[in-house]
Amino acid sequence: MLESALARVAPASATGSRPNDALRWIAAVFFVSALAFGLIAWAVGDVFFLRLATEALIYGGLALSVDLLLGRTGLLPLGQALFFGLGAYVSALVLKHWDASFWLALGVAIGASALAGLLGGLIAIRSKGVYFALISFGLAQVVSKVIYNTRELGASDGLIGVPAAQVGGGLTSAVPLGFFLLVLTLIFIVWALLSLLMDTPFGRQLAAVRGNEQRLAFIGVDPWRVKLAVFVLAAMIAGASGALYPMLRGFVSPELMFFQVSGNAVINVIVGGTGTLIGPLLGSSLLTGLRSVVGSWTEHHHIAIGLLFVAVVIMAPRGLVGGLAPWLQARLDRRGAKDRI
Amino acid sequence: MDWLQFVLAPQVINGLSIGVAVVLMALGLTIIFGLLDVINMAHGEFYALGAFVAVALIGMGLSFWLALLVTPVLLALVGYLSERTLVQRVFHSKDRHTLTLLLTFGLGVVMEDALKIVFGANPLRLEAPIQGATEMLGLFFPHYRLFVMLFGGAVIAAVWLLVFRTPLGAMVRAAAFDRHMTASLGVPVHKVYAATFAFGVALAALAGVLLAPMYSVFPTMGRDFVFIAFSVVIIGGMGSIKGAVLAGLVLTQVQSISSLWISPVWSDPLLFGIMVLVLVWRPQGLFGRLGHA
Repeated sequence: MLESALARVAPASATGSRPNDALRWIAAVFFVSALAFGLIAWAVGDVFFLRLATEALIYGGLALSVDLLLGRTGLLPLGQALFFGLGAYVSALVLKHWDASFWLALGVAIGASALAGLLGGLIAIRSKGVYFALISFGLAQVVSKVIYNTRELGASDGLIGVPAAQVGGGLTSAVPLGFFLLVLTLIFIVWALLSLLMDTPFGRQLAAVRGNEQRLAFIGVDPWRVKLAVFVLAAMIAGASGALYPMLRGFVSPELMFFQVSGNAVINVIVGGTGTLIGPLLGSSLLTGLRSVVGSWTEHHHIAIGLLFVAVVIMAPRGLVGGLAPWLQARLDRRGAKDRI
Repeated sequence: MDWLQFVLAPQVINGLSIGVAVVLMALGLTIIFGLLDVINMAHGEFYALGAFVAVALIGMGLSFWLALLVTPVLLALVGYLSERTLVQRVFHSKDRHTLTLLLTFGLGVVMEDALKIVFGANPLRLEAPIQGATEMLGLFFPHYRLFVMLFGGAVIAAVWLLVFRTPLGAMVRAAAFDRHMTASLGVPVHKVYAATFAFGVALAALAGVLLAPMYSVFPTMGRDFVFIAFSVVIIGGMGSIKGAVLAGLVLTQVQSISSLWISPVWSDPLLFGIMVLVLVWRPQGLFGRLGHA
């Protein structure tokens, strides 16, 4: 609210370019490069890297949901993998035992994670700050342990032999390029909708929760409702991303809900750039690639990622995009000024 | 009566010996949070590191008792250095809650993998230094567990005395209450911070060494254990010493007695359920924060 009022009083820059122009440029470059990557990989007949890039985008969706909470609302979720894993299990169950339809599996998974998000939100939203972080951590810990020990859900082995999802028009999730493009499109839609959402009153309220929750209440908006709504929305995005996982890999395992996945999502967000929405996608792509490359030399790739993460937190807490955007914005502004003259 | 003696009592004794270790862990967490406002996400890894250092020292020919003394000192040094070189760097930024949490989380990731590289992922065993058991009042006390209870209890009492009955503890409490005022009184607050972090880490390491002969030692051993410690600290009240001791002992009893009826799988959900209920009733936990009466 305050932010939008300020924006009205003082134009972001004399040239009329808007403050998130730089972010849009970075996003455009990201999506175009992703598209080019997919086409090149397909042209040279590669499958491995196409699959890996699809996985990176899927984890990017999870990172996007973390950024929505952490970067936009100021809530640090340490258990977002709960909804990711839930979406994956629901999708796998639907595909395996009900119908191999892509849209049905995605829809049911989103519905289930919305419900779980509402339940989890009612518990987690009660707490603030570090308490929220720890409660969300605990929620995921508890549910993943129960699933790990439930024989009906395959216990520690998970569910294997998930059939390929039928998208329609002959496309299935087993087609590497087709599924990559589908996932890329879906992630683009989620990113675009979230970017638009940030400019609505609801988006401003999220920023206000981060800025000062009490003052938001003073102007007559219930912060609890805002937080619950964004928590459910983030759960749905995480669940939808998770639903894509078994379609890509053909299995799900309880590891998908473990702290490792939640932690990696947070790392992707921080390295990419908190609160930038495009940063998490970039971070997820780069780090998934890095994990795979380092992982092919040594199984101890966590230590490399961990060191990188610690260095980013200490030296560049705004992350890659957070550091790049102001510089790019300055250049855009300068160019805009030149064009005017 | 037989049920009390042969079924319930062993669980209570079992729970108590784990309970003191959990309390030591939780004390470290809560003191660090109470003073520095830092959630130490690497606490479980410091606990594991403590156990591994003890295994390594004993492997080098030291006796268990010496390792029990030396390990916390070594880990305190590690803790002191991590605070000075890492935590201190992000301590003064605006959102230090999040940054310090993320930083210690990253530190934990690095430490866990480092442990895997150095010691391998397979569990190691540590021989209990004292074998056998004593019968008292018709109850059966394994010697090592008895030792853990007594020694751990003594350390907990010593921590309490140190914090509430010594000038050093007064400095810590003063710094937790108002760090600028304390600094202007000539207390080297930065050193107090680093020393407190080191102290908390040493307590986690001590818990690691004490439990090493009861469980196996492996790089991810801290993960489940730190979950219990976090629940204890949240229920007891972040930064409360009294809360950590009380909640630690009660929760481990709940866990260990409930295992008579429910499968251990459900013990974490049970703990978590209790935690949620306590938070609904008192969002700030049972007791107040260090330095705030």
